[in-house]
Amino acid sequence: MPNIKDQLENEIMSEIKSGRVKLRSKYIFLAEKFSLSSAFALIVLLAVLVFNLVLFYLKSSDNLAYLSFGNGGVFAFLESFPYLLVASFVVLIFIAGLIIKTSNFAYTKPFGYLALGLVLFVMVGGIILTFTNIAENLEQQTYDSKMGSFIFKPFLTHAFDIRNKGMVGRIVEIGSGFLVVQTPHGSERLIMNSGAILPLQPLSEGTFIMAIGSRDNGDFNISKLQIINPEEMKMIQRGVHRRFGQFQPRHEIIKNLP
Amino acid sequence: MTLDQFTDEQLVEEVRERDKEKYAELIKRYQTKLTHYLRKFIKSHDELEDVLQEVFIRTYRNLYAFNVDKKFSAWIYRIAHNQAINHIKKYNKGSISLDEHEWEIVDEKMDLKYNTDIGLAKIQIEKGIALIKEKYREPLILYFFEQKSYEEISDILQVPKSTVGTLIMRGKNALKEYLEKN
Repeated sequence: MPNIKDQLENEIMSEIKSGRVKLRSKYIFLAEKFSLSSAFALIVLLAVLVFNLVLFYLKSSDNLAYLSFGNGGVFAFLESFPYLLVASFVVLIFIAGLIIKTSNFAYTKPFGYLALGLVLFVMVGGIILTFTNIAENLEQQTYDSKMGSFIFKPFLTHAFDIRNKGMVGRIVEIGSGFLVVQTPHGSERLIMNSGAILPLQPLSEGTFIMAIGSRDNGDFNISKLQIINPEEMKMIQRGVHRRFGQFQPRHEIIKNLP
Repeated sequence: MTLDQFTDEQLVEEVRERDKEKYAELIKRYQTKLTHYLRKFIKSHDELEDVLQEVFIRTYRNLYAFNVDKKFSAWIYRIAHNQAINHIKKYNKGSISLDEHEWEIVDEKMDLKYNTDIGLAKIQIEKGIALIKEKYREPLILYFFEQKSYEEISDILQVPKSTVGTLIMRGKNALKEYLEKN
């Protein structure tokens, strides 16, 4: 009489011999491994690129410079912050972390160390990329409407959005109590009210300025204004040049009129 | 070379590449061990047999997923562990059953002091093991009842080796606490 132990063995072996239970093909496991590895590599590379874009954005847009206005510039800073880029970076790191967690080797070390290693690797990679022109090329491709430009446009165009609390651009006209400024999103009228804090140096056409304040009926009411070096905000400088070209004083424009 | 001279890993290679009937040897080697292990999760004999059968079938189906440079024992125990957890979650049943030999282990190695008769103590301990948190219960069971090393426990439960000792100690303390309260 077959004992219970043999019974289980016989049942299983009969399923195997009859072909009802089969070995899954080794190529399925190879494909799974390859897909997971490829997905991980792609996500890490994307995370490196996105982190590089975050650094690029912070370095060459108006965002960080609003903090130089002190407490008054905080709202403008928050308004111009690259939320989409930072959120994308966090999501990519999270997905990469999930892939690490499901892998067959991740459990050998505490997950915290692996996660920290991943973040450090991505950040170092992003920093290394700042020595290349990748971010500038991506910005250029976005505005040349090349194939794929739509992918990066939402991340980079936030630098050129209309802000309610801040403003950066090139002076083209100085009026009585107002300025006309060329910005990456168009021309703007800035109103210099009596309470506005202005720089000691006189303003002149062609100068790049940065201001905090508020909007009212389409005009921007300045509360504080600074003259800036456009080389420190290259994205804004390029945005203005793309829209309006190189600066020409008014008397030159008038001189060249037919 | 006779079958008993093959290591588990060599048998896996034989089954994969040459002779699937050699899988019967792996079943023979692990049937008793896994039955003892699964009894820590499943009390009903019929349910245990079903889960055990499922473990061996899944192991066979996924044999190409096994890396022969690793230990087969840890791999099949991991499959058994996952199937047991799935069974408990599906049927919302979790219970422990200790046999005489395992009861001796509790007595000698776990250093649990009890001031009541042995029969009642055994029920309390079985209950206590079933009630402590899963993350402490499993390494406790594998270490004391399945005689697994820290490295094997790390591979089976997929936790860092450095935390296995801590989990076992916390499991023992949780069990002692339960027994003191009850």
